[in-house]
Amino acid sequence: MKPSPRWAAAAAVCAAALLAPLLLSETQLPVYIVLVLAACVVTGLSMLMGYAGQVSLGQAAFFMIGGYTAALIALEELPTWLGLAASPLVAAVLAAVIGVPLLRLRGHQLAFATLAVQLILLNLVGQQEWTGGDIGLQGVPRLAIGGYEFADDVAYAYLALAVLGLTVLITRNIVKSRPGRGLRALATSEVAAESSGVPVAGYKLAVFSLSAGFAGLAGGVYAFYFGYVAPSSFPVLLSFEYVVMVVVGGAGTIYGALVGATAVTLLLQLLNNIGTMEGMPAAAPTVLSYAVYGVLLVLVVLFMPRGLVPTAAAWWERRRSARPRGDDPASDGAERPAPAPASV
Amino acid sequence: MLQIDSVSRAFGGVYAVRDVSLTVAEGETRAVIGPNGAGKSTLFNLISGHLLPDSGTVSYGPEGERRRIDRLTPHARARLGIAIVFQGARLFGGMTVLENVMVGAHARTRHGFLSAALRLPRHREEEARIEADALAALDRVGLRDWAHRTADALPLGQQRSLQVARALCARPRLLLLDEPASGLRAAEREALAQLIESLREEGLTTMLIEHDVAFVSRLADRVSVLDLGRHIAEGTVEEIRRDEAVLSAYLGEGVS
Ligand SMILES: Nc1ncnc2c1ncn2[C@@H]1O[C@H](COP(=O)(O)OP(=O)(O)O)[C@@H](O)[C@H]1O
Ligand SMILES: [Mg+2]
Repeated sequence: MKPSPRWAAAAAVCAAALLAPLLLSETQLPVYIVLVLAACVVTGLSMLMGYAGQVSLGQAAFFMIGGYTAALIALEELPTWLGLAASPLVAAVLAAVIGVPLLRLRGHQLAFATLAVQLILLNLVGQQEWTGGDIGLQGVPRLAIGGYEFADDVAYAYLALAVLGLTVLITRNIVKSRPGRGLRALATSEVAAESSGVPVAGYKLAVFSLSAGFAGLAGGVYAFYFGYVAPSSFPVLLSFEYVVMVVVGGAGTIYGALVGATAVTLLLQLLNNIGTMEGMPAAAPTVLSYAVYGVLLVLVVLFMPRGLVPTAAAWWERRRSARPRGDDPASDGAERPAPAPASV
Repeated sequence: MLQIDSVSRAFGGVYAVRDVSLTVAEGETRAVIGPNGAGKSTLFNLISGHLLPDSGTVSYGPEGERRRIDRLTPHARARLGIAIVFQGARLFGGMTVLENVMVGAHARTRHGFLSAALRLPRHREEEARIEADALAALDRVGLRDWAHRTADALPLGQQRSLQVARALCARPRLLLLDEPASGLRAAEREALAQLIESLREEGLTTMLIEHDVAFVSRLADRVSVLDLGRHIAEGTVEEIRRDEAVLSAYLGEGVS
């Protein structure tokens, strides 16, 4: 079997991701771990936005729920793996419960409602004694699974990668099969999907819950890695950042989620590095991380409204189909259907 | 198979369907005709569940297991075996022709998120069966060669056929066709007529909205006539041709 460019790309991404923890410096590794965890959240959010056509502006709330769940269970001196296992479940169940009224809303109403949910949860968590109030929960023990303790950054990097791998695998399996077809169908026509037997409301709730579960699982890893959770670790801005990552990468594609999370994280890191270089004015970090970041985002949305990955894929398709008959003037438009019958 | 009792539905105080009662027998092909705006599509939507009646009841099922369905969601009715082909093209853009048809099988398959996520063997078997059924449905409407193209690339006539294939992939017991022949060229109409004939031979209960009298006389066992939301006549094609109320409703429409 000849390796297709698709497989080659997947293999390259995997190899780079697996090698990175060994090659990155001590200061870079935490950034990498946060990036990988963000990619988990964004993969779920991308399904929600791309397939169910719903925007959640409160996805960091589920990340937070996962983190607190793991921390609370671990601090009760229960097995730490139990904390990690419970973190996606609690987040998913919470989403399923609040999703019933929330998903009746549409478009920006739902976006605002999820934002409100996060604000409420942040408020609650910041005021309860058992969640540690504003200070949060400190001294979360390190994660141990079957006698192995995840002790250093490299171990957590691989743990995060394993969680991301699981997330991507589950997402891919779902998207490619019966429920995924139902989701893609309802994204274009809810009426036709319903009449084909797709329970539209139930499917939307399932994706919402699943995306929350992914976020919760990432939050669980986060709690064990940093050893503490506090309301200030899960600001509303983090939720916005996840949405930005989805949009930049391209909603509804797994690669889009990975690329979006990577691109935005690297960009923020780069701008931060430039801003804190010697000889830069004091205002530089702020200007760079807000203004330049904002301008770059606007440019992406203007020139690649579908996101980086779908735009790149369309460009690649065009190049590929143009090559064998490069002088064919009709081959420059993606809209024009090629003559039947199709390949295979 | 289908029993509609005194069903009414109004939009903003104006009746689109008014006190309609009719019964469709199992295996029957029923044509529904009437001028534009008569309420034909509204009636279909009341059967498929996209609209709920203001009053009246809709019951469905083979003899002996008939039950009321007028409060069920459309996807629940689809699971009971009701499939609809809408008047306008309602395709799933961005998906291939084959995938569009495979969605049709949703009504009679059940593997959900969990078994898909885990790729259970049962689920993979079901996937393979769905794909085979979808290809067979594409064969029936003559779209097999287009299976792996995206649905948006189809010409209008084929988009209609694709919707028919999607409905057939559900293996319906009641098929609702809302003007399936409109916008088709002669050869395509003929193919559609032959398909409906063969479905009729297989005993499928079908309701068909259609304007073309020749098409209706060829395919329909009985005809229901709607006018201004009312069910003004029902009978065989011959009976309808002679019906006074029908003639006056159609006066000036150029149909004899
Ligand atoms: N969703 C709707 N909202 C408002 N009015 C509608 C709606 N659907 C249908 N109608 C009205 O109901 C009447 C019947 O429409 P319809 O059932 O589409 O007729 P037909 O299919 O026989 O041409 C028309 O007057 C139409 O304007
Ligand atoms: Mg109509």
